[in-house]
Amino acid sequence: MPIARSQFILALLLLAAWLPRTAAGQDAGEAPAGIPVENPTVIEACGICHATDDPRILSRISYRRTTPEGWQRTIRRMVTLNDMALDADEAREIVRYLSNDLGLAPEEARAGAFEVERRAIEFAYEADLDTEDTCRACHSMGRILNQRRTKEEWELVVAMHRGYYPFADRQGFLEDGMVGREAPAADETPRRRHPMNRAIDHLAEVFPLHTSAWAAWSANVRPPQLAGTWAVSGHHPGRGPVFGQMTVTAVAGADAEFTTEASLVYPQSGESVTHAGRAIVYTGYQWRGSSDVAIEDTAWRQVMFVERDWNEISGRWFRGVGDEIGLDVTLTRSDAGAAPVVAGVHPRALRLSAEGEVQIHGANLPAPLAPADVDFGAGVEVTEVVSAAPGLATVRVAVSAGAAVGARDLRVGRGRAARALVVHDRVDRIEVEPSRGMARVGGVVAAKQYQQFHAVAWHDGPDSEAGTGDDLNLGVLEPTWSLEEYSATYGDEDLRYVGAVDQTGLFTPAVDGPNPERNGNRNNIGDVWVVASFTPDGRDTPLRGRALLVVTVPVYMQFDSWEVGR
Amino acid sequence: MKHLKPVNQKADRVERHIEVEAGARGDVVALQQGPLRPDAAVPLGCSFVFFPGWEVDVEGGTAGLCSPVERDLFDCHLGCFWPAQVPDQLNHAPDWTASCASAQKDWRKIDLIFP
Repeated sequence: MPIARSQFILALLLLAAWLPRTAAGQDAGEAPAGIPVENPTVIEACGICHATDDPRILSRISYRRTTPEGWQRTIRRMVTLNDMALDADEAREIVRYLSNDLGLAPEEARAGAFEVERRAIEFAYEADLDTEDTCRACHSMGRILNQRRTKEEWELVVAMHRGYYPFADRQGFLEDGMVGREAPAADETPRRRHPMNRAIDHLAEVFPLHTSAWAAWSANVRPPQLAGTWAVSGHHPGRGPVFGQMTVTAVAGADAEFTTEASLVYPQSGESVTHAGRAIVYTGYQWRGSSDVAIEDTAWRQVMFVERDWNEISGRWFRGVGDEIGLDVTLTRSDAGAAPVVAGVHPRALRLSAEGEVQIHGANLPAPLAPADVDFGAGVEVTEVVSAAPGLATVRVAVSAGAAVGARDLRVGRGRAARALVVHDRVDRIEVEPSRGMARVGGVVAAKQYQQFHAVAWHDGPDSEAGTGDDLNLGVLEPTWSLEEYSATYGDEDLRYVGAVDQTGLFTPAVDGPNPERNGNRNNIGDVWVVASFTPDGRDTPLRGRALLVVTVPVYMQFDSWEVGR
Repeated sequence: MKHLKPVNQKADRVERHIEVEAGARGDVVALQQGPLRPDAAVPLGCSFVFFPGWEVDVEGGTAGLCSPVERDLFDCHLGCFWPAQVPDQLNHAPDWTASCASAQKDWRKIDLIFP
């Protein structure tokens, strides 16, 4: 029985190879202790499968920390793929407990904040190329930055992906699926370790379960007391600057739960909106809320970061199938009787020799207000206070012809806003942001994914060179928007099919599905330039800025739907 | 192209294309295989590293994608090829094709999966 003998020898060899490793692992006592779970709902719901000898230590769960979104995603997977039975209240309690007690410290969550705020920012993970290549083929690096695990746990999460998404193994984890991979280093054999394994080594070292930041934060964390009045300032691409006030009320009988009522004003259009919502603050600082605007049919999500002093909260409110419509907001505590808060001004920039009205938005602004209380610095004279209320003062200003070009701090009584107003002598260029955008066709099978653009006016600064650190941001414009062909191939006529941009810079893609009018029944996808054109005062010809827009196909798996704010 | 005169339709199209291109950018970028150019304008959120990319091809545009996407969609499903974009038949949506025999024809019946 030569085959049986050779199998026996092979088994012995494998055992020999395995034994010392196991023994070494045990002797060194390397396995970090898990984090005990004290919540009965979690133990009852998760402990059936994740039981260990210690009833408070759950396998997998006790060895991982992450954001509310990370825990929600896992629980959802347990329900959809592992037939876990859970009602909504239990799921909420589990997400809340795990986010609070197996969460991230504020210092740990900053780097991956763009992921939970659903920002499409350019992010390069430079610490390890293997990790970036392995993970980013399917998802944003933000997902990884928001995880802390033991080495074994990192190995298991990779194994989970290989099991559930078998083809991803070749595409993402192993070498032959990678594009642009660097050549093996000279000292490595051709049969080098898989990038996947090198990524695990890296992740275990850089994102371990136990950190001093978490030890310090988990000892100190408490439900934040955020009830009160907050001054809101922000920027809403497509609608310009936004200011207002938010009243936060604690929900009786619940820790870290609030109802919110925000009144916002868009000075560019004069429009006012009211957001009525609710929020939960996880881990003492992670604001997750939702709000409704009366005239709109879908809710906004609020993802914000509460600063340690409980005096500032900032983040993003957003909605849309790809979370693509959103505004950046900063909330500053402005309870009655407290010091004035100057949130910002509109317009943001004035030319030399200009005269006009400037709105000053804030909270607790002095009323009545004298021109002498408002100080824009030398060369910008406040000639008249047109109106004054605690939330909004309107003043008339005159900029002298010889004023220095540059940004000015604004002081109103004891309140101050840094670089609130820019005095300039010309507009040098306009830039369309984002410089690269993506929309997805939709309307039949999938929902349309929009892309909002906005245009910013710039002064090149004292060095008269564009793109340097001294450039002056003159604020958002209301340009004329249009689309132009981005030539990628012959006669694709993308411009005719992909969709349209409106005069707020919002691109609406065309319908999904094959288009019989196009060559090869091509979808209504394509690449176009989005062009903003604007003629500032003092110029005869318009300034133009443009951004690349890719209008592409829908995704048929929609992983990103969130309940953590409800 | 000053010294060349197009003598057939294709050459004529090349010339017209270059005229259009002059105001845009200096090269014809799509329909070429090769590594991603370092300056390729890939919008954020696009996955382009697979062959082909889902949102964009390796050059950052849509010209090199399988289109219409419905033509190849069920093959991606059966082969579990696009784990983050197309439901796989092993775990997330074993019956995805049940209500729709041919994605290209019955594409309105395709379900979205919320895993």
